[in-house]
Amino acid sequence: MSNSFAQSIRALFRLKPAQKLNREYRISLLTAVLLAFLVGAMIMLICGFDPLKCYGALFEGALGKPRALGNTLAKTITLCLCGLAMSVASKAGVFNVGGEGQLYVGALAAAVVGAQCKGLSPWMVVVLALLAALVAGGAFALIPGAMKVYWKVDEVITTIMLNSVAISFCSYMANGPLKTAEKGIASGTDSIMKEAGFTKLIPLSNLTTGLFFAAAVALLVWYLMTRSSIGFEMRLTGDNDRFAKYGGISAQKLMLWSMILSGAICGLVGMLEVFGLHKRFLTTVSNEFYFDGMLVAMIMRYNPFGVIVMSFFFAILNIGGRSMELSAGISSEVILIIQSVIIFFMAAEGGIRATLQSRAAVRKARREAAERGNAA
Amino acid sequence: MKEVFNVLLLQNTLRTATPVVLAALGCLLTQHVNITNIGIDGMMLMGAFFAVLGSYLFESWVMGLLFAMALGVVLGLFYYVFVIRFHSDEFIIGVALNIFAGGLTVFLLRTLFKVKGSFSDPRIVSLPTLTIPGIENIPVLGQLLSGNTLLVYVSWILVPVIWWMIYKTPWGFHLRASGEHPEALAACGKSPERMKCTASVLCGVLSCMAGAHLSLGYLTMFTENMSSARGYVAFACVIFGRGNPLFVFLAALLFGFISALGLRLQKYVPSDLTAMAPYLVTVIMMVVVVLWERRRKRRAGMLAC
Amino acid sequence: MEEMIRFSHVSKQYPGVLANDDVTLSINRGEVFSLVGENGAGKSTLMNLLYGMQPLTLGEITIGDQKIDAQHNPEKAMEMGVSMVHQHFKLVPSFTVAQNILLGHEPKKGLRYDFAAAERMVTELSETYGLHVNPKDVVGELSVGLQQRVEILKALRTGAKVLILDEPTAVLTPQETEELFTVIRGIVREKNMTVILITHRLPEVMRISDRVGVMKRGRLVKVLNAAEASEKEIASLMVGRDVIFDELRTKQPLGPEVLQIENLRAINDRMLPALQDVSLKVHAGEIVGVCGVEGNGQTELAECVMGMRPQTGGTVRLNGKDVSRMSPGEIRARGVSFIPEDRMRTGVDGKASVSDNLLLGKQREPRFSRFGIHMRQKRVKEYAKQQVEKYDIRTSGVDEPVSSLSGGNIQKVVIAREFDFGTPVLVISQPTRGVDIGAIEFIHERIMEKRNEGCAILLISADLDELFRLSDRLVTLYEGKITGEFETETITMEEIGFYMTGAKSQREGEETL
Repeated sequence: MSNSFAQSIRALFRLKPAQKLNREYRISLLTAVLLAFLVGAMIMLICGFDPLKCYGALFEGALGKPRALGNTLAKTITLCLCGLAMSVASKAGVFNVGGEGQLYVGALAAAVVGAQCKGLSPWMVVVLALLAALVAGGAFALIPGAMKVYWKVDEVITTIMLNSVAISFCSYMANGPLKTAEKGIASGTDSIMKEAGFTKLIPLSNLTTGLFFAAAVALLVWYLMTRSSIGFEMRLTGDNDRFAKYGGISAQKLMLWSMILSGAICGLVGMLEVFGLHKRFLTTVSNEFYFDGMLVAMIMRYNPFGVIVMSFFFAILNIGGRSMELSAGISSEVILIIQSVIIFFMAAEGGIRATLQSRAAVRKARREAAERGNAA
Repeated sequence: MKEVFNVLLLQNTLRTATPVVLAALGCLLTQHVNITNIGIDGMMLMGAFFAVLGSYLFESWVMGLLFAMALGVVLGLFYYVFVIRFHSDEFIIGVALNIFAGGLTVFLLRTLFKVKGSFSDPRIVSLPTLTIPGIENIPVLGQLLSGNTLLVYVSWILVPVIWWMIYKTPWGFHLRASGEHPEALAACGKSPERMKCTASVLCGVLSCMAGAHLSLGYLTMFTENMSSARGYVAFACVIFGRGNPLFVFLAALLFGFISALGLRLQKYVPSDLTAMAPYLVTVIMMVVVVLWERRRKRRAGMLAC
Repeated sequence: MEEMIRFSHVSKQYPGVLANDDVTLSINRGEVFSLVGENGAGKSTLMNLLYGMQPLTLGEITIGDQKIDAQHNPEKAMEMGVSMVHQHFKLVPSFTVAQNILLGHEPKKGLRYDFAAAERMVTELSETYGLHVNPKDVVGELSVGLQQRVEILKALRTGAKVLILDEPTAVLTPQETEELFTVIRGIVREKNMTVILITHRLPEVMRISDRVGVMKRGRLVKVLNAAEASEKEIASLMVGRDVIFDELRTKQPLGPEVLQIENLRAINDRMLPALQDVSLKVHAGEIVGVCGVEGNGQTELAECVMGMRPQTGGTVRLNGKDVSRMSPGEIRARGVSFIPEDRMRTGVDGKASVSDNLLLGKQREPRFSRFGIHMRQKRVKEYAKQQVEKYDIRTSGVDEPVSSLSGGNIQKVVIAREFDFGTPVLVISQPTRGVDIGAIEFIHERIMEKRNEGCAILLISADLDELFRLSDRLVTLYEGKITGEFETETITMEEIGFYMTGAKSQREGEETL
């Protein structure tokens, strides 16, 4: 058996250089978004829809009414927290693809605490549920994290597999031992204490006081990653863990903790969904929210500020897509296509730019050579 | 327990394993040229959809399979261009491809067939089942080896063929060299890029065939997200089998066995719990392979002392 | 003299760099021609053009009487009789010797690879040229010298008339180098071949070559006859100024024992024993040089001392305190700094900025972060700028990623960081590998300064000149064992070569007594 094979597995998923979001990158991003919209428009045309009308409906549906805006902001929070969760782990060199599972586990834990702790003050319930969600999400992330750090088991596959495990497990709990006695709830747990649920900031929308939790966490993560010495250590560990270890940073501990933090943030997202929206755990608590957030984080190269901005854009697409389907009639999945096109272009951005530049350089050199030849 | 452990269990094992085997064969080719193809899951999903589409449009399974394979070529080239030519992050492209696949198939399902969830139609022709005369009538073997659909046999043939190609032909040496030390191959005038491209395209074709087996094999329908992370399982099998088609095949069979067992245990255990089993086993497989590797190395070290 | 190769007005433009600038040169049949120059002088580029690894931008190259065309590639170069052995071997580690030599030209039986025929062909080839290899050996398990032999055979497979060797002696022992030179002389004399050496090791150049071409910043500065030129003359042509390699060492009294290594054992990455009962001591104010051919345990020795590799036996003591089980962070806190051999993998984070790389290890000091958490960005910048100036690091700014710097400047970043800890013990591995002559001088001076300040320095290097120049004491490491220990004045390079290759050992001598 070849050594190379083991090597190639070990070299799996090494991050590409995490450049800064410089001007060039921002231009590329804008171009990619425009191109993606163009692709989307072409698909709409082929399917017999009017692109302008569709896009109009999209933005109208996402930003047009206070309620729509509230929903978009709520979606932004979810995406942004998921994106930050991904960023925290990735910066330290661990790919947490298992956020979806951690979100489920966190949501379930929060829902159970919210339903069981009757008799306590609502504030206490919220705090306890928050803790439960953080611990559940973090602990569930600890499994692949520890396997990665101590045994070098590739975390991408294990986290993806654990997603399926967590979702099945939560669905079993919601259909079995923890199934609510209430009528009309297909698969869900008992509802949480009513007073503990978050209040809506914009009537009828999904935007709730959970926003403050999210803002606090986002701020904390941003500070940690960009302004603190821990962020510095995380960054070096993620780039080159051997270097970090050599420099006296305990890379293993750092990777483990960033994975736990990542899982805890995902757990928090689950809790926000439960306390803000459903008021109980439902098996439909998330619809691959984490994957959207993860892609946002990747596009923005794990830059916390960038993640926040891009989350808003993706939220517009997401929320607007649904109302576009209702009013213009086109299936909202076209949004997923547009999003993935943006991602394809942004992932290849460096390569495409390099290709164009080297072509230009060769052409220039040839031209100069020809001129020199003429002069001689 | 007799209802669980019988020939049908083994039969289900083979059937469940087949798409994973096909996808894993594709994946191991890319793994040998040092491309990490995490997008197999999406390729499978799109393959499944286009197989149904082709079969539906022409009322022929041949066209269904051809549609899927043609799509595989396109996807393989796409992956090659983005990952090798543009040096994109394999992981991002792979994950984005999976999301794209989810979006595209559902979008097309709703736009072309005007349905949600799943699509089946009498016009869709499934893959033919082959009976092998002679073996057919032997009690257990007949049930297992005969009467499977076309792609099951194709996957069985491909396992030794691909093994032979990788380890016994010059082509295989070029393939492995392009992954292990591309400059070595380039230095003798062969293009590693071309090998990588070939592997990527073959991977696309095989993954889409796996998809075709999903939608035209035993079911004749397309369901949203019907690949259900099998692409990732295939990837895990490749790592577990360390790129050797024979071991990868065994790993896929193990996965198939666990899934089949889960299905058959549904009478006794809630289905949500049995659904966890294959994924848990995959995680355990990943751990085991790493620990094995360590022990093997340590042993080698001991001997050398 | 028959002309074999001719470059006329050859230029090569890379994006942003003019790697070759109007080079005109002719090389004859049956001669050994050396191409010397600093890193980035364009000597490898010139040979890559000849070998077809890169298309040329301007000019003309002729091989024999054939002009090379725009579609020139290595395959065609080999058909025209030009072969090249690269500095980094282009061998597939998991393939056998035969499979590597015949890669791309495999004998077939039907569609199958004919393994038996391949082995036969390789045996014949190795007999023709007198380069003995076992075709069945797996290349990854061979020594560097043997791997090079495989590379040379691969290059000779097509019956080459011109053989280009890129830095062939960089990884060889003096004895292996001698063997290589014998081979070169043999093929030049008996087969009337032309050999082109790319190198920067001047003593070897003088010994083996007929003519020497000196390159500087993409231009061919001068071509000299080796018999009439002196090393100093060539060196000054290379750097464009006079380089003085003078003695740096001055006698000074030894301080107390600071670093003690006793019966150290460790295994390497392949889980094979790498160190076997290594014992040595370093005093304050002393440089102990570790000589050895690469892969004889030097890497593991340095890593064990720094706590980056678990030891399987023995102890490492710092000022009498056992630090064997400590992590790199704890060992650093007790006063050890480390310049690793593998710059890009261990020494720096290539993606991070110069200032980040200079900061590592000091990020929690109160002067750089409040409460060890809140980074003081301004102070970090200032500090980085100071260091850049002090160590003469050539960079366009402290925010540039380190990977954009040249090898020598990256090494200076590592040295600036490590030396600034001001620790009493330094472990230095390959400090000047791949570094320009000018920077070498600078680095050597800094190391000497540290010694004179009273640091205990463990110096590991593959460059014997460097070890002899800097060390007070030398130990030789062969297959993970110490085979000899000498005061530098008492031994010659040739003599030490025997200890480095296991031909002699003080240890066995003691045992027999």
